Amino acid sequence: MSTEAIPAEKPKRNYNALFGLTLLALLVLLWVILSLSTSSFASANNISNLLRQGSMIAILAVGQTFVIITGGIDLSVGAVVGFATVIAAMLINAGIPVFLAILMTLLVGVAIGLFHGFGIVKMGLPPFIITLATLTSLRGIGLLMTNGNSISINNDAFQEFSRNSFLGVPNLFWMVILVGIPAYIFLHHSRWGRYLFSVGSNAEASRLSGVNVQRTIYMAYTLSGLCAAFVGVLLASRIGIGNPTQAEGWELQAIASSVIGGTSLFGAVGSVHGPLLGAFILATINNGANLLNVNAFWQRIITGALIIIIVYFDGLRRRGSK
Amino acid sequence: MTSTAQDLHPAPVLEPGRTILELRGLEKRYPGTHALKPVNLAFKSGEIHAIVGENGAGKSTLIKLLTGVMPRTSGEVIWEGQPAALATPHEAMALGINAVHQEVVLCRHLTVAANMFLGEENSRFGILQQRAMVKEAQKIIDDLGFDLPAHVTLGDLTIGQQQLIAAARATVRGTKFLIFDEPTAYLTRKEADQLFTLIRRLKGEGVTIIYISHRMEEVFELADRVSVLRDGTLVGTRNIAETNDAELVKMMINRSIEQIYHKEHFTPGAAILESRNLSGKGFENVSMTVRAGEIVGLYGLIGAGRSEFVTTLYGRHRKSAGQILWEGKPVQINSEHDAIKLGMALAPESRRDQGLCLNLSVGLNLNLPIYKRISNNLLISNAQERTQADRQIADLRIKTPTRSALASSLSGGNQQKIVIGKWLAHGARLFIFDEPTVGVDVGTKAEIYRLFSVLLSKGAGIILISSYLPEVYELADTLHVFRRGKLVATHGFRTADHEEILTQALAEKQEKLGEQI
Ligand SMILES: Nc1ncnc2c1ncn2[C@@H]1O[C@H](COP(=O)(O)OP(=O)(O)OP(=O)(O)O)[C@@H](O)[C@H]1O
Ligand SMILES: [Mg+2]
Repeated sequence: MSTEAIPAEKPKRNYNALFGLTLLALLVLLWVILSLSTSSFASANNISNLLRQGSMIAILAVGQTFVIITGGIDLSVGAVVGFATVIAAMLINAGIPVFLAILMTLLVGVAIGLFHGFGIVKMGLPPFIITLATLTSLRGIGLLMTNGNSISINNDAFQEFSRNSFLGVPNLFWMVILVGIPAYIFLHHSRWGRYLFSVGSNAEASRLSGVNVQRTIYMAYTLSGLCAAFVGVLLASRIGIGNPTQAEGWELQAIASSVIGGTSLFGAVGSVHGPLLGAFILATINNGANLLNVNAFWQRIITGALIIIIVYFDGLRRRGSK
Repeated sequence: MTSTAQDLHPAPVLEPGRTILELRGLEKRYPGTHALKPVNLAFKSGEIHAIVGENGAGKSTLIKLLTGVMPRTSGEVIWEGQPAALATPHEAMALGINAVHQEVVLCRHLTVAANMFLGEENSRFGILQQRAMVKEAQKIIDDLGFDLPAHVTLGDLTIGQQQLIAAARATVRGTKFLIFDEPTAYLTRKEADQLFTLIRRLKGEGVTIIYISHRMEEVFELADRVSVLRDGTLVGTRNIAETNDAELVKMMINRSIEQIYHKEHFTPGAAILESRNLSGKGFENVSMTVRAGEIVGLYGLIGAGRSEFVTTLYGRHRKSAGQILWEGKPVQINSEHDAIKLGMALAPESRRDQGLCLNLSVGLNLNLPIYKRISNNLLISNAQERTQADRQIADLRIKTPTRSALASSLSGGNQQKIVIGKWLAHGARLFIFDEPTVGVDVGTKAEIYRLFSVLLSKGAGIILISSYLPEVYELADTLHVFRRGKLVATHGFRTADHEEILTQALAEKQEKLGEQI
């Protein structure tokens, strides 16, 4: 037998890193092409704008990725974002200190996530169904609460936050880092992260190995809900209004970012850096298309084609490496 | 397709003894593994040719190449004098090459009949002739002497029964060359006998058979010739009459094993676990005790309720009556988590469904039960994660290029070693091993039995479930026989003979009489 020498951890890590680097290269390539072909892309203003656009989807994609790794899906995140803008707006307008208002909004996101976990674990509903139900009903609840009107937020400090920069980088982008680093540690260096993967790979085997499968599922959806509510707060700050119909279709952008970032919809494959890069690639394409005056309809088609191409090549290589 | 029972008996086209299939320099490389080094071998028409070798020696790989499941790296396959590409399973089947694979690869949600005709459904104007197919399938199954219904969903059958269906399926399509990859791993004695009858009959009809097994006695019972693979190399081919057990083992692992069943007797200590009149789904009124330092063997046919009994002990299923005592105190075990916290460990029966996260790394699989221990409140210790995994890989000689290879890329027997290995570092007090050596090679079996002794010497107790009588017979200090969910007999170490135990496990007639009285 030839097991005497066990080489150090190589293929998987390498593969992950390699795929990450490929995505990064793609992003840089896009940036270079756009800076050369348009005059406005490389302007400080546009870059800040791009970072702001990408940041919110990026944070959503991180939460979404946790869920997808367990083999699930969270279709509700766009609706949660819209709903959270309403909650945040109402609380702030009611004179509650901003800090407390944000905390309470985040708790609402947690509650929604727990509800999803409950539906899946206790009621045995498929993730697709329970989160689809939340998607439609949350918008409805939000509309009831606001009577279909938008609520403008009357707190300047709150709105400043999303417009300001720190060290030349937009605050919104700092928020990606604020979420990304703990998320990375959580997914790749804590046992809960390992459990997310193992549950997504084989729930029964995990359970028999002592993994608390139910708690793991609760955790994934709760984190996704939390990320979505956080994005809701950021969006409220950026636009200055609470409106439950905002962030329409963001769940699909989050899923697309995650998938472009190498997450497998069959579960048990994914990372944190992948979806982040995926989100900024999507944002760059939209931004660039605007600058190049590409028809908005075409932007959607390009995005769709890109998803197919990237996932196809990723799949090819994964199969090749087996 | 409209196969009738007559199609089962294709007239032999070749006179026996002619070469039907020849491998010339057949080779397979996976990234990181040279699974099959150039192999030259000729199979004679109408022979039963056994292939033996360690886990990961390349047996299944050879089969996958012959059946078109995987492309070869280089070399030639000559079928009836003509080179064959064997690029797809379809092509192999068209030539008459079929296989029953190591893991059942059928659709568990379809009926037995649908599975038997999968890919060659009987349809009229595009409409499936369901009724006709069930009838036909039933006829084939009956004809083969298997006592199984054709209309039920495949997933409702035991793994062994599914394997028989896979065998039946392989015989219905004008087969000239049939490969069995460890077919008896999950079969009961009776089912294995049925299968052997089938194999001999096929041989009589001129079908060439490759038979892969880790069980030497089966090889000697069935085969005409035997080839040995070691590390992807063909070490030699022998006529069965001119070789013996010891020589084959020596060829397989390049050293000799004086004794496979390593048994040390320890003085049993205090009771660790006691089951009092426990009942649940699939078993009834079972009482037994496991003490420190002893192996309690559970023998019975597959489906006798042993797995249900232990998974209930383990909190996976609810008990309906009775009591469980842990170290003398009554306990409520509501989940696997409770059981593990008490100090139990379970290596389950089905490695694919219950044992492994196949698309994750070997290392993660090995560490899954102990992540709590190798991480502080927040972070996993990378160093410990590495050393723990590497230790199990070395101790059990798990053949893998690295600890981060995916579990699915390991050979069947090496996957089984992970299922066991993950509990060895856990430090449990009661180990439940459900069919632990299914598909494991001789050398590693000896290794695993040695590990049992190590666990016992540290004061643990072991429940060993096996449908392979010699294993429980040679290892168990106390041997309980299960039949249809009931514990029907108890023996000490080697106090009963094989015949008696078998009768107790089977004994359908007597049981019926007994129930009436
Ligand atoms: N899909 C795969 N990708 C990479 N390596 C593989 C793959 N399948 C098998 N291998 C490797 O090829 C070698 C031979 O495997 P194979 O399955 O042929 O062994 P085997 O002789 O059938 O063993 P066992 O008795 O355990 O079933 C092993 O080292 C295994 O890890
Ligand atoms: Mg094999």
